[in-house]
Amino acid sequence: MSTVYREFRFLMRERSALLWLGLAFMSATIAVVLGLKEVSEQRTTIADLITADQVEREVVKKDLADWGSAAYYSFHLTYDEPSDFAFAALGQRDLSPWKHRIRMLALEGQIYESDTTNPDFALIGRIDFAFVASLLSPLFLILLLHDLRSRERAAGRLDFIEATASGKMIWRTRGLLRTTLLWLCLVLPLWVGGIIAGASLMVLLIASAVVLTHLLIWWLIASWVANKDYTSAVNLVSLIGVWVVLAVITPAAIKAGVNVAVPIPDGGEILLTQREAVNDAWDLPKQATFEPFVKRHPELADYAKIDTPFEWKWYYAFQQVGDQNAESLSHAYLDGRIKRDVITSSLALLSPPVLTERLLQKQAQTDVAASIAYEERVRAYHADLRSWYYPKLFKDVEFETELLSLRPQYSTD
Amino acid sequence: MNNALEANSLSINRSGKPVLNDISFTVPAGEIYALLGGNGAGKSTTLLTFLGFLEAASGSVSVQGEQVNKNVKKAREAIAYLPEAATLYGHMSAYENLRYFLDLANAKASDSELNEALDSVALQTAARSQHMVTYSKGMRQKTAIALAILRDSPILLLDEPTSGLDPLAIDEFNRLARKLADQGRTILMVTHDVYGACQVADRIGLLRRGKLVGAFDRTEGEIDTETVHRAFAERAST
Repeated sequence: MSTVYREFRFLMRERSALLWLGLAFMSATIAVVLGLKEVSEQRTTIADLITADQVEREVVKKDLADWGSAAYYSFHLTYDEPSDFAFAALGQRDLSPWKHRIRMLALEGQIYESDTTNPDFALIGRIDFAFVASLLSPLFLILLLHDLRSRERAAGRLDFIEATASGKMIWRTRGLLRTTLLWLCLVLPLWVGGIIAGASLMVLLIASAVVLTHLLIWWLIASWVANKDYTSAVNLVSLIGVWVVLAVITPAAIKAGVNVAVPIPDGGEILLTQREAVNDAWDLPKQATFEPFVKRHPELADYAKIDTPFEWKWYYAFQQVGDQNAESLSHAYLDGRIKRDVITSSLALLSPPVLTERLLQKQAQTDVAASIAYEERVRAYHADLRSWYYPKLFKDVEFETELLSLRPQYSTD
Repeated sequence: MNNALEANSLSINRSGKPVLNDISFTVPAGEIYALLGGNGAGKSTTLLTFLGFLEAASGSVSVQGEQVNKNVKKAREAIAYLPEAATLYGHMSAYENLRYFLDLANAKASDSELNEALDSVALQTAARSQHMVTYSKGMRQKTAIALAILRDSPILLLDEPTSGLDPLAIDEFNRLARKLADQGRTILMVTHDVYGACQVADRIGLLRRGKLVGAFDRTEGEIDTETVHRAFAERAST
């Protein structure tokens, strides 16, 4: 009988270990199911929005009479399709918007006029696989490993076992076997979910390796504490203490420290600045709008003047100037988020749960980088819309409804 | 005769306090040596030192001629150790425990060999498939001894083997120990049971506060219950 098989049979007779492994399997299964459901709902929402968007455009098109109203009344759907592995780590998709309906108006306010930020999720996060793997799995492992030796000592069996086994390898075998079985209980639902969602083999392999590495780190910690010859209760309290420090206190300290070290404006500040600029423009001389606008669009300088109280080109010019006014804040916000993310990724080495969660989010493309990439795609698309509309608005090109079908289309690439 | 176990000027400290103080004794192969002493005399410490769990402050212990601290694994392979509690796994039957611990010791036994060993320790057949949590201490002890038999270890270290057993079970155990010694196994048992030791041991050492304060040899006619009991009461009981 091989050592591993012997210990496996032994473990199969141990009710408490089976209970914890069963609970871990259930937690992972529930997390995967909830993740798949959420991603499916997001996909359905996107599909519904695409349909509704097309229907609305056709309806609106009939009443359009000029380029200005066409730009004003047309909404353009943008969205960030969830990846095939997003079910495992919803990450920023709980906190940052992944869909917008933008217009040719000032953009920054539209981006940060989020409709998805849920204070509950911002506080505790969603119970997805990343949550189970990063936060709960160490607890399951602690429960499985904390008394491996100490309960044998309490039962008067420790010396007997070590004398019979001629050494201490048995504890390593038992510990690693439990760690491996816990890993299987976690990754089995993940793989089933991954196959259902069509996740790539490589992503699943990397995610499984991340979870295994995380568990091995906790196995080392648990083995180190268990070798101190304390009682089971002391081992358990010590390991829970380590978990609190690494999974709760350290991440909170990292977040607080990074926030202090890298102050950034918030989305509301950007929105307010941009809207104030837009609202003020109504009362300012037209030239106050056209001057900063022409600096960005010198090719339209000859057309940047109006003789009437209102013209669409002036209206869209001050929308853009609104964005220009908020630009420094927006850049600071963007740069700050990137900087915070970079610093946090280094400091995450201090907290295995944080590191695990971030690595899984990276595989799921639900991390900060993915969220920022989506925002950049929205900005690029909005810029394309402006480039398409501006010549028509400023050069008084005759309006043709048919040409609207040539408007830039949003692409998820 | 070769010495299976040997302690040379052995001193052991635990938690900074001396527990064994310069003791020396030998156990030739095939003999039963009983180390008698009261609580805290250092009896169990002596056994743990032969198993390599404790390091000598000075002196040395040897198993089959080899110093334990130089090859702990080899020493443990030669020894079957029965701790006082002899607590095998309660959620497993005698069969399952034997198979598990035999595998742990890299030993093998067929079903008939298991039954043979359990027969030799007179464990009731009906009990063998029951979870050991239902066993009496005597039954647990018998199972543990069956394990030692199956391991075919040349040396047995027994910690208070008769403690808590009823007189009939003690009698059975003593007969079994004698049988094993007659088969060539060396037994070092630590006990405070003077009568049991006198019944079964070839030699007896009296241990008091970590010092060997008396020795008796059956071949010299020195072992009789009255003599040993008197010496124990005078020299070793406190």
